[in-house]
Amino acid sequence: MKRNRLTSVLAAALATTMAFTACGSSNSNSGNDSSKSNDTTTSADSKNEESADGYEVALVTDIGTIDDKSFNQGAWEGVEKYGEEKGVSYKYYKPVEKTTVAYEDTMKLAIEGGAKVVVCPGYLFEQAVYDLQTEYPDTKFILIDGEPNDGSGTYKTAENTLPILFEEDQAGFLAGYAAVYDGYTKLGFMGGLALPAVMRYGYGYIQGADYACEELGIDSVELKYNYTGTFTASPEVASAAAAWYQSGTEVIFGCGGGIGNSIMSAAEDANAVMIGVDVDQSSESDSVVTSAMKLLSNAVYDGVKSYFEDEFKGGETVTYDASVDGVGLPMDSSKFKKFDEKTYEDIYAKVKSGEVKIDNDVTKEVTGIETKHVKVVVVE
Amino acid sequence: MSVVYFVVQQMMLFSIPLLIVALGAMYSERSGIINIAMEGIMLMGAFAGTLFLKFTDGTMSGQLQLILAILISAVVGIVFSLLHAYASINMKADQTISGTALNMFAPAFAIFTARIVQPEHVQQVQFTNTFRIARVPILGDIPVIGDMLFKNAYITTYIGFVILAVATYALYKTRFGLRLRACGEHPQAADSVGVNVYRMQYAGVIISGALGGIGGLVFVVPTSTNFNATVAGYGFLAIAVLIFGQWKPIRILFASFFFGLMKTIAASYSGIPILVDLGIPSYFYKMTPYIATLIVLVFTSKNSQAPKAEGIPYDKGAR
Repeated sequence: MKRNRLTSVLAAALATTMAFTACGSSNSNSGNDSSKSNDTTTSADSKNEESADGYEVALVTDIGTIDDKSFNQGAWEGVEKYGEEKGVSYKYYKPVEKTTVAYEDTMKLAIEGGAKVVVCPGYLFEQAVYDLQTEYPDTKFILIDGEPNDGSGTYKTAENTLPILFEEDQAGFLAGYAAVYDGYTKLGFMGGLALPAVMRYGYGYIQGADYACEELGIDSVELKYNYTGTFTASPEVASAAAAWYQSGTEVIFGCGGGIGNSIMSAAEDANAVMIGVDVDQSSESDSVVTSAMKLLSNAVYDGVKSYFEDEFKGGETVTYDASVDGVGLPMDSSKFKKFDEKTYEDIYAKVKSGEVKIDNDVTKEVTGIETKHVKVVVVE
Repeated sequence: MSVVYFVVQQMMLFSIPLLIVALGAMYSERSGIINIAMEGIMLMGAFAGTLFLKFTDGTMSGQLQLILAILISAVVGIVFSLLHAYASINMKADQTISGTALNMFAPAFAIFTARIVQPEHVQQVQFTNTFRIARVPILGDIPVIGDMLFKNAYITTYIGFVILAVATYALYKTRFGLRLRACGEHPQAADSVGVNVYRMQYAGVIISGALGGIGGLVFVVPTSTNFNATVAGYGFLAIAVLIFGQWKPIRILFASFFFGLMKTIAASYSGIPILVDLGIPSYFYKMTPYIATLIVLVFTSKNSQAPKAEGIPYDKGAR
């Protein structure tokens, strides 16, 4: 009897957690529809009532929401911008779960809803796009941060697909360079999971710091490097960040969705600073000294635009990097002491021209990244 | 020594919410009602509290604002827990299912409402944390204890201890506490001497709602800059603490400290030089909380002190 009770409580807890996640997402879906998307889609729709049969541009989110302050939001902003400017109807769809099957169903739904361009933010869509690009040859797919493949190593990009990759390592490089240039000598990097995009940020960050050391003749920079294993805010992450700050770390590059918020919280408590990721996060906390951005919305905007102007260049991967201003730091909202606009432009020009070479080979472990001056301490 | 102080300060971030929520669940269970809905109640409390913090940002001093937010969280927690009370006391529903339903409802409601009421239509509720106390006057100067408890602290830590004291006293030293406990052990007997069992059970659930709501806010405020419709499973962890603490307040205190300490070490060992120098793989630190829990449960579960009548809807006619 006693033991039964314990097990029943635990079983119920488990069942609830599972039900929880499932329901949370589907319900938030209805939340989306009733608030933001409706407002915007209807307004866009009313502009071109006659021509539109359905929504011509569709965004399918990877389970996240269009206000995740990261990927989905960046992509959505690009879609929204183009739609508002040109009066093209647009809408976003949210899959019920984070699986390729659910993505494909949702993308089909979007296509049946009139979508001519389907924007897929994130590497999670690689397989879904691979499957659908041949099934729907008349529909254009824009795949962010990934290249279509069948999940077991066969890559194929059809003529109607435009994969867009970013050189996150360049954004990370700029952040690392700026941090050391600004006088920080004890740096930290906390990534979500060891995924290619996260790793490129981290590797660039290390090399940026190293490059600044070389230039300034500093030799005692230490960099702690860690993958937290999660993308959500939690006391564990806050506590880990607090421990780093307490042991002398001056700035942490928080690279992975919600964990950034926990790092901000720890930074506020320790009167320290952190570096945001993907989008300009300075509005979320005063502790954000700068953000390593990839200008997702520009890339999506350009992709959608190219379709409507009959210049869609599918079949080949496009890489957004410094040369097309695809990555950068938001200097207007950054809180640097010494690293000024001019220094930023100088180093940006060097990255742009290829004068600095950044090793972004994610098949390597972080220990394989060579540094001359920065001591990288990997925290497991 | 500063490392010890740091660990204690960090431990409070984990322990205090667990303590408050587990004490809440204790009141419900000691009255005979299983309350699996603590996760949902925490979430609702945290949601209402952070929403209040957001909308009143800058209009009043930090600590006053936090205390008002705590009261609001408590009220919302009570209202939410009344659903559970009604289903399980009046309707005699299965208490685990009723609690599960509330757990499923809470995050959806929080996301939906956040999107509607916030001018920017987003699901995250962003707030400004101005509540940290760098040093409590006078008390902060006490050696050792001052460094541990009265520096870099939140007022919620002290509220947690006050709640513990009041909860212990009320449960063991008042007429109300005795009657509540009787209802959890043998409601028919309690009824036969004139105790209104339904009223006692309502009281138990309401207290759990208030404390659960407070616990949710206390959980979110120091560890993030926004509330994103989750309390990361800490409501369930609090129920584990309750069982670990054998439904007794002081044991719950130790259980929550134990969990808190283990979690702190697992999370922050990389910033503690002594632990890093040991050279033990990080996985070891990450699994300690769970292994330690298993071991302790093996030795304590034989003498489980669970209230005898909990989970069974009270039926006046049954003897």
